[in-house]
Amino acid sequence: MQIPTGHQHPLTRMIAEINDIFSKIGFEFAEGPEAELETYNFDRLNVPKDHPSRDMQDTFWFKSTDVSAPTVLRTHTSSVQARYMEQNEPPIKIIVPGKVFRNEATDATHEAQFYQLEGLYVDQGVHMGHLKGTLEYFFSEFFSGKTEVRFRPSFFPFVEPGVEVDMKLLEGESKLAGKWIEVMGAGMVHPNLLKVAGIDSEKYSGIAFGMGIDRLGVMKYGVEDVRDYYTGDLRFVNQF
Amino acid sequence: MKVVHNWLKEYLGEQLPDAKTVEDLLNLHAFEIDGVEEKAGETVIDVDVLPNRSSDCLCHRGIARELATILDVQMEYDPLASVPQFSGTDAIKVSVADSSACPRFTASLITGIQVGESPSWLQSRLQALGQRPINNIVDATNYVMYAIGQPLHAYDADLFPKVDGAWQFDVRYAQPGETVSLLAEGGKEEDRIVELTGTELLIVDGSSDTPIGLAGVKGGRYAGVHAATKNIIIEAAHFHPTLTRKTARRLGIVIDASKRFENEPSRELPPFGQQEIIKLITDIAGGKCEGVLDEYLESTTNPQVTVTQKKTNALLGLQLTIQDIAQLIQRTGSSVELSADSLVAQGPFERSDLHIEEDFIEEVGRLYGLDKITSVVPDATQIATINTRQYYTEKIRQCLFTLGFSEVVTTSFHKKGKIQLQNALASDKSYMRSNLSKNLHAALDVNFSHTDMLGLRDVRVFEIGTVFAKSDTAITEHLSLALGVRTKGNGFTAPDERILVGACDALEETLSTSLAWEKEKGVAELNLSTVIDSMPAPTKYDDLPVQDPVVFKAVSLYPAISRDIALWVPAGVSALEVANQLNASAGDLRLRTDLFDEFTKEEKTSYAFRMVFQASDRTLTDEEVAQIMEDVYQTARTKNWEVR
Repeated sequence: MQIPTGHQHPLTRMIAEINDIFSKIGFEFAEGPEAELETYNFDRLNVPKDHPSRDMQDTFWFKSTDVSAPTVLRTHTSSVQARYMEQNEPPIKIIVPGKVFRNEATDATHEAQFYQLEGLYVDQGVHMGHLKGTLEYFFSEFFSGKTEVRFRPSFFPFVEPGVEVDMKLLEGESKLAGKWIEVMGAGMVHPNLLKVAGIDSEKYSGIAFGMGIDRLGVMKYGVEDVRDYYTGDLRFVNQF
Repeated sequence: MKVVHNWLKEYLGEQLPDAKTVEDLLNLHAFEIDGVEEKAGETVIDVDVLPNRSSDCLCHRGIARELATILDVQMEYDPLASVPQFSGTDAIKVSVADSSACPRFTASLITGIQVGESPSWLQSRLQALGQRPINNIVDATNYVMYAIGQPLHAYDADLFPKVDGAWQFDVRYAQPGETVSLLAEGGKEEDRIVELTGTELLIVDGSSDTPIGLAGVKGGRYAGVHAATKNIIIEAAHFHPTLTRKTARRLGIVIDASKRFENEPSRELPPFGQQEIIKLITDIAGGKCEGVLDEYLESTTNPQVTVTQKKTNALLGLQLTIQDIAQLIQRTGSSVELSADSLVAQGPFERSDLHIEEDFIEEVGRLYGLDKITSVVPDATQIATINTRQYYTEKIRQCLFTLGFSEVVTTSFHKKGKIQLQNALASDKSYMRSNLSKNLHAALDVNFSHTDMLGLRDVRVFEIGTVFAKSDTAITEHLSLALGVRTKGNGFTAPDERILVGACDALEETLSTSLAWEKEKGVAELNLSTVIDSMPAPTKYDDLPVQDPVVFKAVSLYPAISRDIALWVPAGVSALEVANQLNASAGDLRLRTDLFDEFTKEEKTSYAFRMVFQASDRTLTDEEVAQIMEDVYQTARTKNWEVR
């Protein structure tokens, strides 16, 4: 009897799809460490020293006896923004899918570990219109239907202006169709990030965005409990 | 921040739109709305004030100001419109040990008040916010905080001993081991005695050096207002936000006053707090203000910022004139000096978030309307660099899928290990994983008991993920690949090894390189980072395999029951046709049907199916399943299929 074909985990499947969609418009796949230096996870992202997110309750810290410089489990893939801009000159056009960690109580919509997708595009003349167009293209491809995006004001230390992004699938039978759904945070790269990376903020500007891949799966497939991604249970995986 | 819709009328008058419009305006131009409720006869809107606006918008005046800005109207009454003028007082003195920790301290003396119940309009506003009215003095301090964002504290002046004819407040750091008594927390009877470490800032009664409150964090019962209180001192100050936050976090105190101090309201605010409360108390409790002490030790002013037309349009992707930009910025209450193609702006004192050009550009964008930004459709572009990790991990995955291996993603936390986190989520998650094999063994165990539900004869899984190690000075990490096989329920057996070796060989062939596996009991693992580093750079990603549409169903927590059925059918009747008939009569509780045996003899074919049943809301009984199978047999008989 023939061996049934194995199944790809929805997270890595979505990452492959995301990469496929973004590679067609010139975004390269970048990566960085999960055990990250405090400086890349916070300082170089313009997160002030006394910012609440550095508190023990949100961030996992490695023991100071194990490291020569303060090290955390990265709380977002934004840390790769700081690393990449330090090592590369504009134009920069990257996506960073990867695992991140938050020291938070878990429930059906929160896991202490989850996957995030970061996007960064720095060049001359990049503006909010590029952000909107890029995201509309991505969601339309990812959810297989024409998708509109709207911005609402928001705040993240690494962008200014910062926005919350809602998407609306304009067509199709999906449960998502026809309503605004909050999907991610985004904005124009804060000039402090460009400066600390040695990029002239008068000459260059950039867009940045970040969203949870686990949540994209909740929307795309109807996954009800995000903890199911990490159980190793094939009754979950083999449905994909 | 809970906002009582009617309260906003104080500041906006008839210009205040209905609650639904307020929600929509704030949502699209300022803050998200977390919910709306009717409480104590009021409509209460829960506004999720952004962190950079928590200094000025955690109060009704702030939200009203924001609405006036969005609507481009003048506030009918703005409590912050002009700087209050008070007569001073020698009756109250303050000594501040560290002016950066407490840059401003004000205190007013009000005599001849009458403590009693608050008027009903005030009570219902506090109740709408979820606050229990106490008496008119305490209620007034709370009311002013929710109105303009300045926390205040009231003392009974006659219970507060004097030094040389004056009340003496000291603001100093605690001594290590010193204690302070704080007001009982919600629902508790007894006050909380807190032992201090020395980093906390205290409000102290200078007459006896007695700590009476934790500055910015919480007050005590000392010299508290009671039914017979006649003369009161009202304190309104500014405390360092970080200092306040650290003390509040350490002691686990989160109250409305500490939340406001933590977010650094303007140093200009305390006198406005005094002005509002003196007005309110003399209105509702009588009495007379005898004077106000204002010790302003360190002031700050908002910077003057140059905003250019060029940069504004370059970031927002708009074509605004400098006059447009000036008008939008002026709506925030900022002052503007206009030039040919730029302007110099200065935010109003209560806005602590307007420091750089981009901050003002954000204001322009959200007030002009982020919906007016036009999408730039991205061009199709070739990428120069292929990510080797993504390329080769996908190649490995596709190879393993054809061999029947499914992919899992498991926890990065272990119960035991070498690298312990400083602050773990739980005792069984306090170490970082140094291999994938451990989780894979667990996945084999768990999944083997589900093979019927999965329609599998054996379990084959793999994971590609990060594992951690320790060097002398840092935490290191690499990508690991592990695969595991389980063919028998009682653990590792020889057939597992044969399948595993076959898969390892297939991967060597796919990657055209030799691989150094570590194998143990049906699980093989290797350092994938070193393998990928030695591979040639790819030039193009492989095409994405086509995926069938996914119909996801949550995994049931209840056990499944399997039943086998074998039957003879005339040769030429397909297994699918038979299965469809059986499935139709089996109903909704059937999870799956798998063909596990098939042979043809003369004119007849024998099919053997395993049917699996499971409910999403309960444990199925044998009787229920027996009844279902009886229906299935009946269907077979009516088709003249011989059940074996």
